[in-house]
Amino acid sequence: MYDLRLYISKKGRIKFVSHLDMFRLMQRAVRRAEIPLWYTEGFNPHPYISFLLALSLGVESEGEPVDIKILGDMSPQEVKDRLNRCMPEGLYVESAVKPFNKSAEIAYGTYKVLYSKEDISENELFEALTSGSLTCEKSGKSGGKKVMKTVDVSQHIKSFKLSSENEDIGLEVVLPAGSTFNLNPIQLSQAVSGYLGKEVVPVSVIRTALHTEDMTGFY
Amino acid sequence: MDRKLERILPLVQKPARYTGGELNSVIKDKNKVDIRFAFCFPDSYEIGMSHLGMKILYSAANERDDTWCERVFAPWDDMEEQMRRNNIPLYALESGDPIKDFDIIGFTLQYELCYTNVLNMLDLAGLPVRASDRKGLSPIVMGGGPCVCNPEPVAEFFDLFSLGEGEEVNSEIMDLYKEHKKRGSSKEEFLTDAAKIPGVYVPSLYKTEYNADGTLKDIIPCEGAPETVTKRIISDLDKVFYPDNFVVPFIDVVHDRVTHEIFRGCIRGCRFCQAGFIYRPIREKSPDVINEQCKTLCKNTGYDEISLCSLSSSDYTKIEELLSKLLDWTGDEKVNIALPSLRVDNFSEELVKKLTGVRRSGLTFAPEAGTQRMRDVINKNVTEEELIETANIAFSNGYSAVKLYFMLGLPTETDEDVEGIGLLAKKVVDAFYMNPDKPKGRGVNVGISASSFVPKPFTPFQWEPQATPDELAQKQEHLKNTLPSKKINVSFHNIPTSFLEGVFARGDRRLSDVIECAWKKGCRFDGWGDKFMFDKWQESFVDCGISPEFYANRRREYDEKLPWDHLDFGVSKAFLMKESKKSYNAETTPHCRIKCAGCSANKLNGGKCDV
Repeated sequence: MYDLRLYISKKGRIKFVSHLDMFRLMQRAVRRAEIPLWYTEGFNPHPYISFLLALSLGVESEGEPVDIKILGDMSPQEVKDRLNRCMPEGLYVESAVKPFNKSAEIAYGTYKVLYSKEDISENELFEALTSGSLTCEKSGKSGGKKVMKTVDVSQHIKSFKLSSENEDIGLEVVLPAGSTFNLNPIQLSQAVSGYLGKEVVPVSVIRTALHTEDMTGFY
Repeated sequence: MDRKLERILPLVQKPARYTGGELNSVIKDKNKVDIRFAFCFPDSYEIGMSHLGMKILYSAANERDDTWCERVFAPWDDMEEQMRRNNIPLYALESGDPIKDFDIIGFTLQYELCYTNVLNMLDLAGLPVRASDRKGLSPIVMGGGPCVCNPEPVAEFFDLFSLGEGEEVNSEIMDLYKEHKKRGSSKEEFLTDAAKIPGVYVPSLYKTEYNADGTLKDIIPCEGAPETVTKRIISDLDKVFYPDNFVVPFIDVVHDRVTHEIFRGCIRGCRFCQAGFIYRPIREKSPDVINEQCKTLCKNTGYDEISLCSLSSSDYTKIEELLSKLLDWTGDEKVNIALPSLRVDNFSEELVKKLTGVRRSGLTFAPEAGTQRMRDVINKNVTEEELIETANIAFSNGYSAVKLYFMLGLPTETDEDVEGIGLLAKKVVDAFYMNPDKPKGRGVNVGISASSFVPKPFTPFQWEPQATPDELAQKQEHLKNTLPSKKINVSFHNIPTSFLEGVFARGDRRLSDVIECAWKKGCRFDGWGDKFMFDKWQESFVDCGISPEFYANRRREYDEKLPWDHLDFGVSKAFLMKESKKSYNAETTPHCRIKCAGCSANKLNGGKCDV
């Protein structure tokens, strides 16, 4: 038995499948692929499949880390090939490697966001991102109760880069991700909307990489 | 994916309902097929994707190289709003193409309260809802499923109905359509020809006349259409097409597992049960075929649960053999087997032992009525002793929750019969506490679900008046007030919903106006409690000058012409009449394997039944 970390890209219409549904989907894929997974023990045994980080509904990814435990000695390459023959459209195992970092070490995510020029101009976006006064509402917990909290978005934007791509504006942005604090580009867009006083919804969002605290890659 | 669609999907609930792209969904080259077929389920994605019939017919149609069959479901109201606002017409999930341009649009009609969804889907597609307003050959709008045993209330909206089991007749319809499309025929030419296919009912070829008292006088066939249209059946279930693949949904649907039917038809003859009559004659599938098909389906879908389905699973003659075969491999593969629709009177200890090897859920039984007299009237043929014995088997094997199904408003029902429901449930509670092998440390939970009886066509109760909404409310109140134990929970069906179901089940063609009117007033998803707007329906009946009570609450005479008399589902009217008369004397009819009751459904299978 050994631990294996898969990096699964999620592109196209499958981005509308929620994090919760992804688990069931993977469970079926490993069954079809006949991969000998370790099952949890207990009243209701299920295969051990762990998505290290949630991906918001509607967001694509270049490679989401997923940990599994393989029984026996099937090689990582074999696992990857078998799974890729059984995955639904839009999901692809980019790599299968022995885990290096611990899941708690994830600290940042890089996203590529596209906005339509019909919705927002490059100058407006630049102004909003550098204003220092972006905020959004985020649900959180206080004393066990669900409450809405105002989050200072500006201080959490680690870095960003703008580009022009045909009818769209491209924004590459690094935001906090991980088990302690998360900010996703949809919340960022809400903050931009609030700042500009108009609805700005991204055309597409893709998570391109994950990093540790010192901004090295997460492996 | 369409950019417009991509931008609205983040705004709706459960967007994966509308994306397509699920595993095993069939993609073809649209330029290489002759027939584009939109298989529409007029309810939510989660309900439609749970339906076995759709899986079978979808795969069967796609077996044809000349046909591309795609799935379409009713968009939920948030999506409908976005589609209308952004001018996105109803599209098929596989291709994303608007279904307006398809050759055939087929609806499966599972439930009377989905009718407004049919109209809404046609309208969202950009098509006129009335068949007479759709002039060209395509799209042909057809309907199938149990409701077409009386399709008259929706006759104005459909071009044709396919009666009975669809595996073979659908293909015949497509062959004929293809021929007419090549020839450049008009819709009328195609329909006149289609009416000659056994099992095909073309409502526009039948004229209806009414008596002064509002009852039906006659239904007259024209243009050579047959006097009687007889439903189709599949003769040999071992040989008929069965899919080796199911589309596996991304999101959680109601029945998300491998489903396998083990037989069609039913031997029981419960007099309230439409399914028990319209799916006759009984035909079993052999254990080896079922076992192999289940294995393949699990392999191709990755599902870890199999549900064996039929109208009464324990009546499958080779149930133990089948379970042994399945358990041979399902244990190692960690596949769970579910066996719904068990009867109280032949639920064996061995059976429950076999099933407890896998994950257990609650047990549900359907005594249907509270007193022996009432159960005899409806021919349920289950005794109190049998129920208690079965409950004891379940309790001894670790179950502590039992759900019991009952009906209120059955013909001849008295207050005593209603009280009997609570008393019977109390006996189940007592049985738990007296059982020495009951699960330790747990209390018992007995749930009563009391629905309202709706008389249906092709049953011995097809002439009966449905209990009025007021009567039903009194019965519900009486049951609640006479419940003898706090361990019993009771839940009821919504009365106006059952009333409307009763109207449409035995309605005639004049109701098409009411359905269109209610749909225009905004009625959709009428089967969903939170969407049902009874006041809009009441307004619609008034606007159209139609009394719903005439259809739901009126006793029909045996010699009255019924709106479904020109349709033949196998069981003869004489048999139904005999059963009706027996019911008044609380006289039972033994099940088909004890003694053939002579229902005549075997004529559909060359005289064969249950062989």
